[in-house]
Amino acid sequence: MLNDTSLYPSSGHSSAADASEADPPVGAAEAEVRARVDELESRLGDPRDPENPFGHAAVLAADERAELIAEAEVMLTEFGLNAEFVPRALGGRLDRVDTLGRVLRGVFRRDASLGLGYGATSLLASVSVWAGGTDEQKRRTAELLLGGGRLAVAFHELAHGNDLVRNEFSALPQDGGYLLNGRKEVINNVERAEALVLFARTNTAPGSRSHSVLLVDKAAVPADRIGYLPRFATAGMRGCLIGGVEFTDCPLPGDAVVGTEGGGVELALRSFQLTRSCVPSMVLGNADTALRTVVGFAVDRQLYGRSVREIPHARATLTGAFLDLLVGDCMALAATRAVHVLPEEAAVIASSTKYLVPKLLGEATYEMSVVLGANFYVRQGEYGAFQKHVRDLPVATLGHSGAAACQATVIPQLPRLARRSWFSGPQAPEALFGVHDDLPPLDTDRLALVSGGDSLAASLLAAAEAAETSTDAGEYTDALRTLVRGFTGELRALREECAALAPQDRTVLADPRVYGLADRYALLLAASACLGVWRGQRDEAATPFLSEPAWLVAALRRIAGRLGHALPPIPDGCSEAVWDELLARTFDDRSFDLYDTPLGGQG
Amino acid sequence: MAVPQPTRTEAEFRDWLINRLSLYLRRPEDEIDLRVPFAEYGLDSVAALSLFGDIEDEYGFYLEPTVVWDYPTIAGLARFVASQAAQRAATGTGGGE
Ligand SMILES: Cc1cc2nc3c(=O)[nH]c(=O)nc-3n(C[C@H](O)[C@H](O)[C@H](O)COP(=O)(O)OP(=O)(O)OC[C@H]3O[C@@H](n4cnc5c(N)ncnc54)[C@H](O)[C@@H]3O)c2cc1C
Repeated sequence: MLNDTSLYPSSGHSSAADASEADPPVGAAEAEVRARVDELESRLGDPRDPENPFGHAAVLAADERAELIAEAEVMLTEFGLNAEFVPRALGGRLDRVDTLGRVLRGVFRRDASLGLGYGATSLLASVSVWAGGTDEQKRRTAELLLGGGRLAVAFHELAHGNDLVRNEFSALPQDGGYLLNGRKEVINNVERAEALVLFARTNTAPGSRSHSVLLVDKAAVPADRIGYLPRFATAGMRGCLIGGVEFTDCPLPGDAVVGTEGGGVELALRSFQLTRSCVPSMVLGNADTALRTVVGFAVDRQLYGRSVREIPHARATLTGAFLDLLVGDCMALAATRAVHVLPEEAAVIASSTKYLVPKLLGEATYEMSVVLGANFYVRQGEYGAFQKHVRDLPVATLGHSGAAACQATVIPQLPRLARRSWFSGPQAPEALFGVHDDLPPLDTDRLALVSGGDSLAASLLAAAEAAETSTDAGEYTDALRTLVRGFTGELRALREECAALAPQDRTVLADPRVYGLADRYALLLAASACLGVWRGQRDEAATPFLSEPAWLVAALRRIAGRLGHALPPIPDGCSEAVWDELLARTFDDRSFDLYDTPLGGQG
Repeated sequence: MAVPQPTRTEAEFRDWLINRLSLYLRRPEDEIDLRVPFAEYGLDSVAALSLFGDIEDEYGFYLEPTVVWDYPTIAGLARFVASQAAQRAATGTGGGE
């Protein structure tokens, strides 16, 4: 199956087998990824088919019942979705974090509850083990996941939220092991998972060395010391089984600790870089389906004697949403590849991505909802998928480090990066932006708590220099120059503001305007990522849309608009080119992201 | 990159840290106790990490960001930083990363 290249539909993709001069061949790794994506799509089937057990109708019905589709879980087990979370060396298929986001995106496009409830939860849990565990812990975790088992991530306590260091759940050392006491609340799959990754206080002293991550094999602890709290009913991700757990004087062996005792905060901050970068990549799938639903509506619905798609405002709204998805994917691509290519710099990129991308997507879906009108409120039928995706999406913003908490990890690092890197450091390597290119192996030991440099921001300067001298954006050259000058000017202003940042503004008590600074910074990283992607695709015959400057200039204008910059005029046909691509991808069922993936098992 | 300064005494490090902390916490210097952990003053773990950058800027040598977690009081951190400074002065490895 994996090497059956005939699976690929002819939609601009080429494969190693049918390569021609016009269509350059893709590498073996890319071909294998496409085969996985295509296989998942064909298993998910046509979303519009009312008989499809995994189609939109079935997904909506399951959501109304607050259930995950049981057959879908069986199907994902057969597909081996869990293998996506397990490193290749341990028998799984995880060797690239960008691919992880790309494959899971397919599940999120169909049903985010399934994406989180079947899959991503086990990933959020297991990254601690991959990044900090012993060989034995890794082996056991891989075995559990590859056997179709589940791992829950029990970090959160209702009383303390993002403030992990104040967590009270305790695992105090006793007789060479630990004694667990306390509760974890709002935890996905906590009851049905075979094992838990727990964040617990192992020392009563205050500070950042008093917590540890523990791997708990439920079968190995006394059953009468562990109890479950009632399920939480939620507004989004309704199918997920979100509950709580309570331990009472539950003994745990000493080898349950993942990494070092007291190393929990450090391990979380390091391993979260993997998940903060790829969760936004996954939830691009939600926004894809939301947009597809609304474009479908705009095409079908007749008003004033024409279809809604002919109303300029509706068209501009949908074009803008498509651009926001592309911006989000450029940033997610840079973040998921940074953990491989620039691990020492990934900390701020990952947190900025986790902050910005879900926000862009949330705002884009709000704008789309205006086009959908009253149908936004309808929970079934042809457009019912929209409201479900809109309800599911915010979990990505608040869960697993909320937006403000992500910004709070970026802010203290900015003054140093501004001074050392932005205008003097090296620019990011091309590999950071390679949409279809291989990556060096992941080395989680190189992920740093504090970014050592910021070549993604420094690349803006290089892009500005290139824009001043080169004319390879053709008729878009002037617009591109103006936009990029605006970004470097913004970066310069940010550097001044960072230099003037009072020490108190690097703490939780920072002035709210400092969060505005982190917001502008994240937008500049997104702009740099878009420029990098375009530069990398410019000469690619296989990606005609991405290689043209129209989308780039239109996307950068979206970013410049958010920054409050004056917008340069754009050549005629710029918005039309993006709109035409959006319509073509809607009619051909291809994804609204950098990969332009054929959807619904058309192969 | 800051030029390495002549080695300072532990007491000088302590005074400098008290001043930094008073700025972070916006509290008068005389309210800051040498032995109270940073966390008890409400300095969160991520903000504490930025102290390492201050040390680097002020003294011109690189320390692991987590020193502030491992030596979570002014007294402990000053002693550690002073010993590092003395060691580097002795071996002639002053600045840089
Ligand atoms: C559907 C769902 C599933 C979940 N599944 C799991 C799971 O499986 N495992 C798990 O461990 N948790 C899970 N959670 C919990 C999730 O991790 C928490 O919601 C998240 O950690 C944020 O905590 P909080 O919502 O309590 O927000 P709080 O931390 O209470 O934050 C409230 C507000 O305070 C502000 N704030 C907080 N921290 C900062 C900061 N550092 N700087 C500036 N402002 C700040 C922000 O405005 C923030 O929104 C789940 C949540 C949901 C909704």
